[in-house]
Amino acid sequence: MTSQLVDLQREAELFLYREAKMLDNNRFDEWLDLFTDDARYWMPITESREVGQERGPVAGEWALIEEDKRFLLKRNERLKTGLAHSEQPRSRTRRFVTNIVATENEDGTVGVESNLLVFQSRRGSSEQFFVGCRQDRLTRGEDDWKIAERVILLDHRVLPRAISIYL
Amino acid sequence: MTMTDPRPMVAPARTSTDLVRPDEGMISREIFRDPAIYDQELQRIFTRTWLYIGHDSQLRKPGDYLTNVMGEDPVIATRGSDGKVRVLLNSCRHRGMTICSTDQGNAKFFRCPYHGWTYSSEGPLVGVPRSADAYRNELDKTRLGLVEVPRVETYKGFIFASWDAAAIPLIDYLGRDQLWYLDIPIEGALGGLEVLGPTMKYVIPANWKLAAENFAGDDYHVLYTHGSAFQIGFLPDYDTLADYIAYFDHGHGMGDIPKPGRGLANDLMMAEHFGPEAVDYVKAYNQRIADRLSPEQAAVHGIGQGNVFPNLSWIKFGCFHVFGLYQWHPKGPGELEVWQTTFYDTGAPQHVKDYARSQMSQENAAAGIFGQDDGENFEKITESARGAVSRTLDFNYTMGMGHEGEIDEPTLPGRLGPHYSEQNHRNFYRYWRQLMTEDRA
Repeated sequence: MTSQLVDLQREAELFLYREAKMLDNNRFDEWLDLFTDDARYWMPITESREVGQERGPVAGEWALIEEDKRFLLKRNERLKTGLAHSEQPRSRTRRFVTNIVATENEDGTVGVESNLLVFQSRRGSSEQFFVGCRQDRLTRGEDDWKIAERVILLDHRVLPRAISIYL
Repeated sequence: MTMTDPRPMVAPARTSTDLVRPDEGMISREIFRDPAIYDQELQRIFTRTWLYIGHDSQLRKPGDYLTNVMGEDPVIATRGSDGKVRVLLNSCRHRGMTICSTDQGNAKFFRCPYHGWTYSSEGPLVGVPRSADAYRNELDKTRLGLVEVPRVETYKGFIFASWDAAAIPLIDYLGRDQLWYLDIPIEGALGGLEVLGPTMKYVIPANWKLAAENFAGDDYHVLYTHGSAFQIGFLPDYDTLADYIAYFDHGHGMGDIPKPGRGLANDLMMAEHFGPEAVDYVKAYNQRIADRLSPEQAAVHGIGQGNVFPNLSWIKFGCFHVFGLYQWHPKGPGELEVWQTTFYDTGAPQHVKDYARSQMSQENAAAGIFGQDDGENFEKITESARGAVSRTLDFNYTMGMGHEGEIDEPTLPGRLGPHYSEQNHRNFYRYWRQLMTEDRA
């Protein structure tokens, strides 16, 4: 591994760790600033199919989440209305981001794959985990990185709960 | 009753008749908790009514199959080599193994993973390993096909099944009045409706009836539960969207019905924002409703949401909304699994499809801003039925009592009510009580 690649890997890791901390600490506005204005956020539905009949997520089919930054801003705005009942009070969350592999794309962006484990504790004893992987495309600016695309592939066929937190 | 009332040490047994008093607007919390009542529901409701299974567009070719659940009974719907759709219990006749563990696909046969018993996609048992020495050729395979659900009927591509061989025809169960509304998006779709991708599935730790009754016409909750959606401008003023609710025979109900003219006007306003192609689409959709159905149905245009008794809810506003189906699969008295399927008009312009698809994910779905708040409500209500004292209390469904039948809108069928009324809930529980208590020959 060249030292350049090591730097890239290290930087990507730090970026994802800092991002995870923002979400764990409910710093949602700061978190959303990490996205480019034309960012795409896609969380397809996982299927269970016979061996040999599997298919990956299909663009153009409906998804758990398929949106751009405009609606992510609306989600943030909603959390501040005092009427976002599914997050009143806020869930306590802890994100574990591992197995990070950063690669440089030809267009200069950085592809980062990682595994994700999120613990959510709601109200009293409501607790669940969300598990999956992320495929991010990051852009590198002068001194900051931004998320241009985030694809989240959850391993759950049946989600343990409605998704009221950012993954 | 006050909390100082002397109470018997053991509460007397109550029946569904005492617990559910729709005409007083009172429903005991017990029916959202009691495991014995839940068990009765599986037997008396989920084996007697028509339950949604899937859509023709998911089973195009012979061998195409999908799995679903009827109550807590897992089933496989398959299109046989004869072109007929059958619904089969997903359970080996030998020792009960689940024989199909996937969502959907294509299979010439189903083979049990335990001992290899093999069934054709039409259901008969066609293969038993070592039949000669293990069973001395004495096993009567002809009696051991997969159990077939006796009634399967389709309404305009939507496949339903019932365990009740004597059930009234599907079309009569759904009823002409309810279908008057449901026909609007089905017939309005320029290219027909198709399933758009996989079924979304998630758990709500709640009793299944709470979701069903909510979709059956609880427009009242939208104001506050979904208050955030109005505050962030996701929806305009609620009273500009819809006016009425309606209920039908067999416990069905719907809400968010717009006054004639309102639905089309709202859609045209929205279409302006998307451009001329969208305006043309809205007009063509509306014209098609007028041509294929009636001018009165075209005047309604977009229909809102509702619940087909017992546990199939739907949502469909105007042209910029996909047609969504929700199955509230019961998993014990305190848990349900949502299975949500989305349909779109294959004839809609691509940008309308793209918008509608993403909008549904944002709205009434697992990560949607409506879906997550509803789920939280159903969960907390279910919790409220657990305590020894709490469970003796009733829920209050009295809104609009004594004022039914006051809406004068002669072109709209069904028992109409104002936007805010619990008449549809009472209708839901009236039919629930009938099925739970009546003795059948």
